[in-house]
Amino acid sequence: MIEFVINGKNIQAQPKTTILQAALANGIYIPHLCWDRRLLPYGGCRLCLVEVEGMHKFLASCSTPVKAGMIIHTETPKLEKARRTVLELLLVHHPLDCPVCDKAGECDLQDLAFKYGPVASRFADERKHEPESTAAPLIERNANRCILCGKCVRICKEHQGVGALNLIGRGFKTKVSPAFEETLDCEFCGQCVDACPVGALGTKSYKFRSRVWFMDEQENICPYCSVGCTSVLSLRDGQILRARGKDGVGISKGDLCPRGRFGFDFIESEHRLSTPLLRKEGKLEPASWQEALEFTARRLAEIKEAHGPRAIGALGSERCSVEDNYMLKKFMVLSLGSKNVDSRTRLGYAKQVEALKKTFGISRLALDLDAPLKADVIFVLESDLTSTHPVYGLKALAAHRDLKATLIVADPRESKLSRWSSQWLRIRPATGVALVNGIMSALIEADLFDKKAEAVKGFDELKKTLERYKPSAAAVMAGVSELDIRHAASALAAAKNPMFMACFGSSENTKGEGTALALMDLAILLGRGPEALGLPPEFANTMGTQMVLEGGETGLDAVEMLYGGQMKALVIMGENPVVTFPDTTRVMNTLGGLELLVVQDIMMTATAKLAHVVLPASGWGEKEGTFVGMTGKPQKIVKCLSEIGQGIPDWKILRNLGRLMHTDLDAKSFAGLSASALADIEQRQETAHPVFIPVEQETRESADGGHPLLFATGNLMQHSGSLTTISNNLDSAAPDAYLQINPSDADARRIYNDSFVKVSGRNGEAIYLKARVTDEVPQGMVFAPAHFAHAKVNLLTLPSKNGEAPIAAVKVDPA
Amino acid sequence: MTRYLLDVVENRSIGEYERAGGYQGLGKALSMEPGQVIEEVKKSGLRGRGGAGFPTGMKWMFAAGDPKSPKYIACNADEGEPGTFKDKAILDENPHLLIEGMAIAGHALKAELGYIYLRGEYLKEKDILETAISQARASGYLGENIMGSGKRFDVHVHLGAGAYICGEETALIDSLEGKRGQPRLKPPFPVNSGLWGSPTIVNNVETLANLPFIVREGAGRYVRIGDPGCPGNKLFPVSGHVERPGVYELPMGTTLREIIYEHAGGIKNGKTLKAVIPGGISAPVLPPGLIDCPMDFVSVQKQGSMLGSGGVMVFDEDTCIVRVAHRALEFFERESCGKCTPCREGTGWLRGILERIETRQGREGDIRLLEDVSKNITGNTFCPLGDGAAAAVLGFLMHFREEFAEHIKNGCPFGPDDLNPYHYNPVQP
Ligand SMILES: Cc1cc2nc3c(=O)[nH]c(=O)nc-3n(C[C@H](O)[C@H](O)[C@H](O)COP(=O)(O)O)c2cc1C
Ligand code: SF4
Ligand code: SF4
Ligand code: SF4
Ligand code: FES
Repeated sequence: MIEFVINGKNIQAQPKTTILQAALANGIYIPHLCWDRRLLPYGGCRLCLVEVEGMHKFLASCSTPVKAGMIIHTETPKLEKARRTVLELLLVHHPLDCPVCDKAGECDLQDLAFKYGPVASRFADERKHEPESTAAPLIERNANRCILCGKCVRICKEHQGVGALNLIGRGFKTKVSPAFEETLDCEFCGQCVDACPVGALGTKSYKFRSRVWFMDEQENICPYCSVGCTSVLSLRDGQILRARGKDGVGISKGDLCPRGRFGFDFIESEHRLSTPLLRKEGKLEPASWQEALEFTARRLAEIKEAHGPRAIGALGSERCSVEDNYMLKKFMVLSLGSKNVDSRTRLGYAKQVEALKKTFGISRLALDLDAPLKADVIFVLESDLTSTHPVYGLKALAAHRDLKATLIVADPRESKLSRWSSQWLRIRPATGVALVNGIMSALIEADLFDKKAEAVKGFDELKKTLERYKPSAAAVMAGVSELDIRHAASALAAAKNPMFMACFGSSENTKGEGTALALMDLAILLGRGPEALGLPPEFANTMGTQMVLEGGETGLDAVEMLYGGQMKALVIMGENPVVTFPDTTRVMNTLGGLELLVVQDIMMTATAKLAHVVLPASGWGEKEGTFVGMTGKPQKIVKCLSEIGQGIPDWKILRNLGRLMHTDLDAKSFAGLSASALADIEQRQETAHPVFIPVEQETRESADGGHPLLFATGNLMQHSGSLTTISNNLDSAAPDAYLQINPSDADARRIYNDSFVKVSGRNGEAIYLKARVTDEVPQGMVFAPAHFAHAKVNLLTLPSKNGEAPIAAVKVDPA
Repeated sequence: MTRYLLDVVENRSIGEYERAGGYQGLGKALSMEPGQVIEEVKKSGLRGRGGAGFPTGMKWMFAAGDPKSPKYIACNADEGEPGTFKDKAILDENPHLLIEGMAIAGHALKAELGYIYLRGEYLKEKDILETAISQARASGYLGENIMGSGKRFDVHVHLGAGAYICGEETALIDSLEGKRGQPRLKPPFPVNSGLWGSPTIVNNVETLANLPFIVREGAGRYVRIGDPGCPGNKLFPVSGHVERPGVYELPMGTTLREIIYEHAGGIKNGKTLKAVIPGGISAPVLPPGLIDCPMDFVSVQKQGSMLGSGGVMVFDEDTCIVRVAHRALEFFERESCGKCTPCREGTGWLRGILERIETRQGREGDIRLLEDVSKNITGNTFCPLGDGAAAAVLGFLMHFREEFAEHIKNGCPFGPDDLNPYHYNPVQP
């Protein structure tokens, strides 16, 4: 601790703390424009000057560390004069178009001018007359208002690891721009917009929508991934006009990704359902709630009567709240006597849960968002975490960049993480198990593993399996060099605090349960417990959904229900298996053959179109509820919008249906329901007991002469499942599916960038996509994002069985 | 008087250079321990010739003391300041001197790589340097095993892109790394975290060119040249209204009067001296009454200016000082990197006020305004560029206040600027 004095107050701080940080932490405000908690000090604006006794110059407090015994003054007449001059200088060229600037009312420059002004402008000079840059999606730039604090440039490069913006030109002509003044083409996270202290950066969706003082603010949990960021919504007249991150608020502390910042508008999509629909003479027609629910109750009873409860199943949703899913389970068990309730987690998150149960004997992992910052070696396996879990992924980047952690990325696809990594193991698609087995084998060979592991059950079996994965053999399987494997092994062995990261997304087909098991074996071999695993669940309420639906006894799982051919009736709540489940043809056959398909949803999905009854539900923002994200801690979601049309919360639909079926589902109030739902999931206390479960490298299909390319599907940073494709904002940033193909594979087939290609699978199906020729995928692999319904990517994908990676082999031709 | 910097070598051939004792300093350095070389440089009292006059031996000691490796030698050949063209003389006439100096520095710092950051306009010098470098490689002074010592050292030339700020050492490093050239926060200083985060010494061309002599002849001999507090020869590029403009190698501490009247042949066309800028455009102007000042770091500072690069700019009685000031500020405005507010916005403001004074639109109070703005820039900018601009203005005001007042009252008495009518046309196209 260092002791010093600010404005007569004795203060202590850790070494390396800057004067500004120390002052702010002690409630002393020093004006500043270019400093941001997340960034390295820059010292450009010169507003944060302070006087330190004994120094002949003023010091920039943002970039001067405190020293013992410093006597610091932050408010003196001389400083006031210097700051006034800086402000005056900033205002000389400023357009002062506050009346038409969306930032007015929350603009740092305006506030400071108010505090230190009024300045009689002693000089009037030409203002800038740069045209606004409006060509890019989502983000607009107005160089005339820019005060060149450089925060946008630095947040993009230093914090996001992107570097889409820079300062170009010199002196007064300096401006913020993408390279060569091209149109901005970036991740569209919008972090730069939030960072901008003035109105020089803004979002298209908010432009000229409101003055800030007319809006209400509401914090809510982002509905997309499991990070559970807090997004601060600005509301006016019952509409969300924008979403922002706010410094220090929520677990994300102000960071948001493209989805969290721009994806809120899905809720006002024109595809929203407003009334119940009932199939009459083959067509879905609007119906009253009474009519629709009575029909549903009657048909469910009839089917139960005719085929027994086992013929009825339900799919819950990771998009719906804990309460909604809890109610679905209750409805199925109490009203219908069926235990067949599952969700899409089966295709993704369940892989890791099953693996956790087998290796550590626990069923959930509560993650610490900041855990990567405490690791010294981070191993990421076939996961584009900065796309699937952007704000969590940033921590891995920060650990490497700021804290010098070793970042080892094993992935065939180039990603932001691989670009920043210390070691990029560019393995062949879906060979994560071979690689990890190879690493384990290298560890055992070099005697670098933790000796406690020898006593762990299954060690001998593991050793036996690893015989077949000698580093040289594993290198061949995974397509990397033996040296690379040994290198990664010794880095991991030397780690004091290693972390193993991956995500098991339902639309990713390069990893299976086996991949999760291998990763866990590796952790155990290095003497680590579940705390070393960074395996985030996929969506905002994936963990909550899984905990609710898997609590107690369970019946058929989602794969059995959709591909098993035994179902007569399905109740599908907030899920769209026609688009989001693999092997679309079989899914369509199953759904088409049902005697009753009930769909509760917020919009008219492809699945809803097949239904006999469609029930309109309220969405995020229109209802209260709870999400359980990666931290395992329940987070409340807040109602801040009114329901659309006749939509009501899913739990209410089910309660009403239950009443019609004469069962009391005990949900008189939301609060009561919520309490019992949470009590149900919060009870579990688990302790880990490691066991080795050796696994073999296996994939569902492998490439051959007829189908020579491996077809991987996955996620984009701008989207989340298929839900975000109805967000106009996100759609404008990432509007379409495409097929990434390596230049050599493209050349061999005479495929050109942006030309259409036909992708055919072994199952006889084919889809058409635009080619994106890029070396972001290696030779032999093609990749398509799985979000877009119209692209029908899932015609070619396969449900996974037996824990292998469900990757498919395809043939690609010019279309 | 010994001349060891501009000892003109015929055809710049390496053979001539060797015959004149070239590369003997390197040979001697290689026979010494790196630490001994640094000791010798410290003893020599050599101070950096890039402008700030920082003791070179001390800089090297800091870099050598940092445990990180590799280390780099960066030669600052950006020379972009108006009035300064001394490094060019060395590059044109004696490039091997620089290469030898860098190799000595390389040995002292245990560095294996050196970069010459060359001003973007010095294309001819680029060719000269590259030829000299390949000669030196061919003769075993650079490369894998220099002079059979088993040591490795090589030099690359990196051409700048025309920004003055890239002469500032941290901006130079950013630019070398391929980034936008903008000064970095110090600390960490380049000696601890420079190029690619490695310990790096940035030295001026002339500084490095002093080394062969120091090592060959010994610090003991070197300290007897020039000023005891700041020994050695100094290059003085003299420009402006003198009979013989050019670069003069003279002992440190030679007076301004001697430089102007003896070496440069006095004021052109028999006119009288009105003002002199002693050390490049960032050095405040001096009136004729102060030209007996010895040209060394300490003495010039005592007169309220600075030795800087030693670039002597001479102005005769017919020169309009407001015009000079305006021209200087045009330079600073154009060359401000744009990072910090006072410099980016302030230089333009100052230039604007000077422009209106020169074009008969000056207002009452403009002198006080110039002073006030300059004082509020001073000390508050991120790097010395902005300080230099403010200091220049304050210097002109201190010694030529009357002339500014006269301009505001009655307009410019010197008539139109025939040298550059474009700039002074009040209605600019
Ligand atoms: C704006 C600015 C421009 C500079 N330009 C040069 C230059 O062109 N050449 C140079 O050697 N030093 C220049 N310097 C000084 C360098 O920052 C640095 O002090 C010098 O290269 C150190 O070398 P020395 O120790 O050998 O003098 C400049 C400094 C500033 C602030
Ligand atoms: S939106 Fe994100 S990626 Fe794009 S420029 Fe801004 S910070 Fe960079
Ligand atoms: S656009 Fe905004 S954040 Fe970027 S430099 Fe300008 S004022 Fe700063
Ligand atoms: S999608 Fe995930 S990372 Fe992005 S804002 Fe929402 S919770 Fe945060
Ligand atoms: S906040 Fe310190 S210089 Fe900008």
